[in-house]
Amino acid sequence: MSSAFLGGARDRLLPVSIPFRFFVSAALFHLAAWGVLLLEADQLGGFTGGPGPILAATHLATLGVFAMTAIGASYQLLPVVTRRPLARDWPTRLSFWLLSPGICLLAWGMDRSSPGAMQTGAALVCSGLTVFAMLTADNLRRAGSVAVVAAHGWAALLALVGLAVLGMLLVWDFQTGFLDDHAGLAAIHMVLASYGFMGLLVAGFSLVLVPMFALSRSLPQRPGWAQLVLAGVSLASFACGRWTGNTAFNWLALLAGFGAAGTYLWLMRAAMARRMRKRLGLSFVLIRASWGLLGISLILGAALLADLPIPNAPALFGFLLLAGWLSTFLMGILQRIMPFLASMHASGKSGLPPPPSDLTPQTPLKIHAFCHFGALACCAAGIIMETTALIRLGAVFGCVGALAFVGFALIVLLRLRAFQQGS
Amino acid sequence: MSFTRRTAQLLHEDHQGTIEVIEALDQLIAKARKKAPDVSDAAVNKTLTKASVAIEDEISNHFAFEENELFTRLEEMGDVGIGEHLRSEHAALLPLGKTVAEGARAALQGGFTDQTWPPFRNAAAELIERMFSHIQKEEMALLPALEDLLDPETDMQLSSAYEAAHL
Repeated sequence: MSSAFLGGARDRLLPVSIPFRFFVSAALFHLAAWGVLLLEADQLGGFTGGPGPILAATHLATLGVFAMTAIGASYQLLPVVTRRPLARDWPTRLSFWLLSPGICLLAWGMDRSSPGAMQTGAALVCSGLTVFAMLTADNLRRAGSVAVVAAHGWAALLALVGLAVLGMLLVWDFQTGFLDDHAGLAAIHMVLASYGFMGLLVAGFSLVLVPMFALSRSLPQRPGWAQLVLAGVSLASFACGRWTGNTAFNWLALLAGFGAAGTYLWLMRAAMARRMRKRLGLSFVLIRASWGLLGISLILGAALLADLPIPNAPALFGFLLLAGWLSTFLMGILQRIMPFLASMHASGKSGLPPPPSDLTPQTPLKIHAFCHFGALACCAAGIIMETTALIRLGAVFGCVGALAFVGFALIVLLRLRAFQQGS
Repeated sequence: MSFTRRTAQLLHEDHQGTIEVIEALDQLIAKARKKAPDVSDAAVNKTLTKASVAIEDEISNHFAFEENELFTRLEEMGDVGIGEHLRSEHAALLPLGKTVAEGARAALQGGFTDQTWPPFRNAAAELIERMFSHIQKEEMALLPALEDLLDPETDMQLSSAYEAAHL
């Protein structure tokens, strides 16, 4: 019974081990990313790219935390949203076993500036992402409903292809130096990964998940399409701007980016205003904070483009984009969907499913939230003031928070197992 | 959510009505905490009055309709899981709804005491959490599935019957 759920049971609800292996890995990579930053805090402020521990920490976060969370959530939620089950289960496991070692190897190679490890790691990661892209494309292809969400999915996959190809080129370029403009392509790679692949998935899933968790009335469709078109224009313009060196494209990208983010934030505000559930809990403190951090990241992007004299602006921009917006949002969503999904797979001794709160340890989440915001504040201040001690303090906060989140994830799993064994 | 099938729309409207009552109950509990609320307070009285009638009636009719008319159709199409899971949630919610409704009725007559408030609060808190979670699942997974499950004719028959039962 426990494996049967959500309009198609064996079809649409995957075995709990599939999404949870991605989520638990994301929690562990989160800890690893902060750990690397703690050890190499002195290198963050002046970071502008290139192999080394900061690039490794960045990819532990982007691939290890963000992509793992997005992939685990997509595998489980897309079939529910599109009302079309995944064709098969086994490729989801295959993608995990390609991605996990690939991310470790890639990050290790970046940390040690080892071309061989980077190339092997990148090849494994790209293979895993290809399996994910094929499964998701097959599901989206068969989705006749929720067109605006599916369109965000398609656009995210397009961005994924672009960032993966660029990523491979960049990794090989570390060894051979065949690229004329490594920094320019690295910038496109980063923007496609963060605002493109992750941003479009966040924007698309938000149209479903935020109203569902807040029990909000339906959101209008047209702004959803508008945010997608604006995001597409922004990403394409940015790529053109970096490729051609024409700054007009960069400004167009920024304007369209503000338009896309503004539309998204307007939609989320509408969802909050129309919500029927008033008390949304700690997860929505994180989610709401992430919306503010999205805006701050774009303002910093504008400052970078205008060449305003902000100390260590590239590092600050990257930090607030990744650890600020995306990490804050995804940790908020993860702490909500892990107990929610677990409760669907658990039955108590009575045969009745437990409420999600029975599976949710609150203390680790409170510690994580406190430490996460402490980490953001200290690291951002440390980057601006060029004070390694502040960045290190922030990384300590980050590690403690990440450790608490790992504890949360493991406790959810242990409680789920206890319920399953009791039933 | 908005739905093209009238049956899904009616169930969605039911959810909205239930959420309104449950949310008011949640606010009552959050405000009162461990101290028994004064039932002569107009807001408390209104919430308990709604809870004493609406929850039990709404969920029993709503659940019966889903179990008898929708889950069976899903099962006939080989889609067994959703009915099983949501039935198990109904089984958890119905006695809780009954307990809360009875507690609300008793409180309206004689007020809460230090002995009656804690069990009422605990039952209501569990009902609130389970109900929110249940409605989230139905809104995300059951009601959209009705768009595929019901043809227009069946949709009209079911929605008319459901509306008639609500009158």
